[in-house]
Amino acid sequence: MNEKLKRLDINKFSGKNSALIAVILLIILSIILKGSTFLSYSNVINILLNNSIIGIISLGMTLIIITGEIDLSVGAQLALTGLISISVANSTGNVFLGIVLCCLLSVILGICTGGLVSKFGIPSFIVTLGTMSIFRSVAEYMYNGGGLTVKGDALSPYIAISNTNLFGVLPLPILYWIVLSIIIYLFTSKTATGRHIYAVGSNEKASLLSSIKVSRVKIVAFGVSGLMVALAAIIESARLGSMDSATSGSSYEMDAIAAVVIGGTSMSGGHGSIMGTFFGTLIIGIINNMMNLLGVPPFLQGAVKGAIIIGAVLFQKRLDRKSV
Amino acid sequence: MPDFVVEMKAIEKSFNRNKVLHRVDFSLERGSIHALLGENGTGKSTLMNILGGVLSCDKGEVFVEGKKVTANSPSISKRLGIAFIHQELTLVNDLTVYENLFLGRECKKGLALDKKSMIKGSAEVLKQMDIDLDPCTCVGDLNASYKQIVEIARALLENAKVIIMDEPTSSLTDVEIEHIFRIMRSLKEKGVSFIFISHKLNEAVEICDHYTVMRNGHVVADGAMDGTVTENLLAKYMVGKELSNDDLYHTRPIGETLLELKGLSREHEFTGINMKVRKGEIVGVTGLLGDGRSEIFATVFGCNKHYKGDVKICGKTEKMTSTAKALSLGIAYVPRNRKENGIIKDLSVGCNISISILDRLRKLFFIDRKEESSNNSRYINDLNIKVSDIDNLITCLSGGNQQKVVLAKALSSNPKIIILDNPTQGVDIGAKLEIYRIIMRLAERGVSFVILSSEAQEILMLCDRIYVMFHGKIKAELKREEASEEKIMVLATGGSLEKAADSN
Repeated sequence: MNEKLKRLDINKFSGKNSALIAVILLIILSIILKGSTFLSYSNVINILLNNSIIGIISLGMTLIIITGEIDLSVGAQLALTGLISISVANSTGNVFLGIVLCCLLSVILGICTGGLVSKFGIPSFIVTLGTMSIFRSVAEYMYNGGGLTVKGDALSPYIAISNTNLFGVLPLPILYWIVLSIIIYLFTSKTATGRHIYAVGSNEKASLLSSIKVSRVKIVAFGVSGLMVALAAIIESARLGSMDSATSGSSYEMDAIAAVVIGGTSMSGGHGSIMGTFFGTLIIGIINNMMNLLGVPPFLQGAVKGAIIIGAVLFQKRLDRKSV
Repeated sequence: MPDFVVEMKAIEKSFNRNKVLHRVDFSLERGSIHALLGENGTGKSTLMNILGGVLSCDKGEVFVEGKKVTANSPSISKRLGIAFIHQELTLVNDLTVYENLFLGRECKKGLALDKKSMIKGSAEVLKQMDIDLDPCTCVGDLNASYKQIVEIARALLENAKVIIMDEPTSSLTDVEIEHIFRIMRSLKEKGVSFIFISHKLNEAVEICDHYTVMRNGHVVADGAMDGTVTENLLAKYMVGKELSNDDLYHTRPIGETLLELKGLSREHEFTGINMKVRKGEIVGVTGLLGDGRSEIFATVFGCNKHYKGDVKICGKTEKMTSTAKALSLGIAYVPRNRKENGIIKDLSVGCNISISILDRLRKLFFIDRKEESSNNSRYINDLNIKVSDIDNLITCLSGGNQQKVVLAKALSSNPKIIILDNPTQGVDIGAKLEIYRIIMRLAERGVSFVILSSEAQEILMLCDRIYVMFHGKIKAELKREEASEEKIMVLATGGSLEKAADSN
């Protein structure tokens, strides 16, 4: 009996933390294949740094997907808001002003999307398919299809946002990612609105009849996601010192959705976790890294990645079924 | 020697180490309607799933038409002539009647579908049932009883000799139920046998020839449904003790008017509704399904912004614009159809109880977990909700306990008025009485209730005052003393009491 209970607990644990288990398995596999290179300081930092942007975007995406919606516009929104941040900083020399305006604009865009989805009942897939096109086109129009580089007085403080190492070892984008993950984790698991996000995704009608302000909850999810996109845009533009209206952020939405789904969040809404998304992002990061280390031809990497995404979700479904 | 079409002998079945069936015997006579009764979780469905080949039994034998069934599966049992009509119908609304009837077994002419012969086959089956229905009608346009009939027709088309019906009447109106019963009787004459699973004992008494009552995996009673078998007797068998509801109703002090509706109207739904609910009062609103009562109170609870007329709460006219506002004004609502409207399936039992009041449980930014769990355990104890771990998903609970959780959610906001729409839908008889007692207890504490139900008995048992509705209008208001099941029936079907009295 006792043994049975234990086994049940293990099943339950693995069901809830399937993304964590996948990360551990992946790390073990990577160590076996490329031990010393994989574990070297520069490689580990590299993986984390390269995935911090997608990691931050997926935090907001997780909230949206838990409410049962989707946002395809995050990549285009990143380019648009990043460009605005740079241009404000360039023209005023005030980096702080650029950051604030960029965040404000992005949150407003998120709220508008959320409003269209919840108040007018247009499916989010359609709304964000439209906004994706609008954001990208407006950015390209404003900057003539080209890009923008940080220059003048703003240059050194702007660049410093992403190109500083904490204690000389930890690049700041990684820190931002971890801190934001913790904040959003607390938001989803400890606050009333966080709980409401799950409730709305699980059963919208019952949530409404439980006196939850359903549209407000959805607008909050899109608004928070907008803020995450703005922060990601600032970090990305600071890291590179520039943003391009045509290419920046393209297909980021797909990477973010993949990270969320690999992290165990259900596309139909209602359940998922920030922790899962964090590990989901890491899984994609480690896979990308290993493909480079193993010398998989660049043009084939997409195929391998795609296959692994499907495999990872299949693996999790298995674990989930056991835990029920 | 009676002619048994199905015989199940000494069936035993365990899940893990839980024995759910203990040497159960069940036999079904040809051309009869057999009631299979019992509370939720007593093994009825397990037994029927064994007959239907969904599950296999650990011990025991199943005979169909005298032949022993060795290996069973759903497809084998179908071939043996056993059809299972589930509570949730499995029709495709966007297809026509004939397409549904032949779903999965379409007639073909070469590669193309043979529409003509399918329509002809459907028409024959419907004629055999004496049903006047065009096989080319879209199923989505049919009412609930016709959908049920299409399910039966599909079973007949598969040459079913035994039709298992799980809670066939739970979503039907009285007229529709009569319709179904008529068809069951005529098919019985043609040698088709039915197994009728239901919580509604009065229906079982009305239509069935035999009964089998199960409790905790045992057959506790069976026999012929002769004149001596009453609802009360069956209920006693099911629960294992005498159930009395005589002591249920208490008179209690009734206070000032809390809720008043004045000329409330909404297009196509209801018109000119005037209603009053006083403090500590239990008001019943009854009528046939679709008479508009659910819509009235969905509006009162703020689900529909556009309405005409006034909603007065404590004498003040309020515009009911959102469910959150209704809650803050002291109204709570337990909707009908628990699965779609009541429970949030991905959340735990505890989260389901506290979901409406999280804003009140806040400490700084976060939910105060201590406060939350003390609130939850209070209602778990108060309502006697049976749950092993409050962090389990709500879907782990039985129907009755889920309903109590939904009730606990409504109660936890400390409402002055609680609207209950079909509060005992899909709840077994023991839990039903428990819910009635909870309502009565709270009313004594001064909470007002509005109970919407089509079950006249339920309304008569609990309510101080009764409004009877017909086609979106209030037909009559009855005091407890003057109400009776017959009067309600007459009014709910559009008749008037004077005429009924005249004809007597």
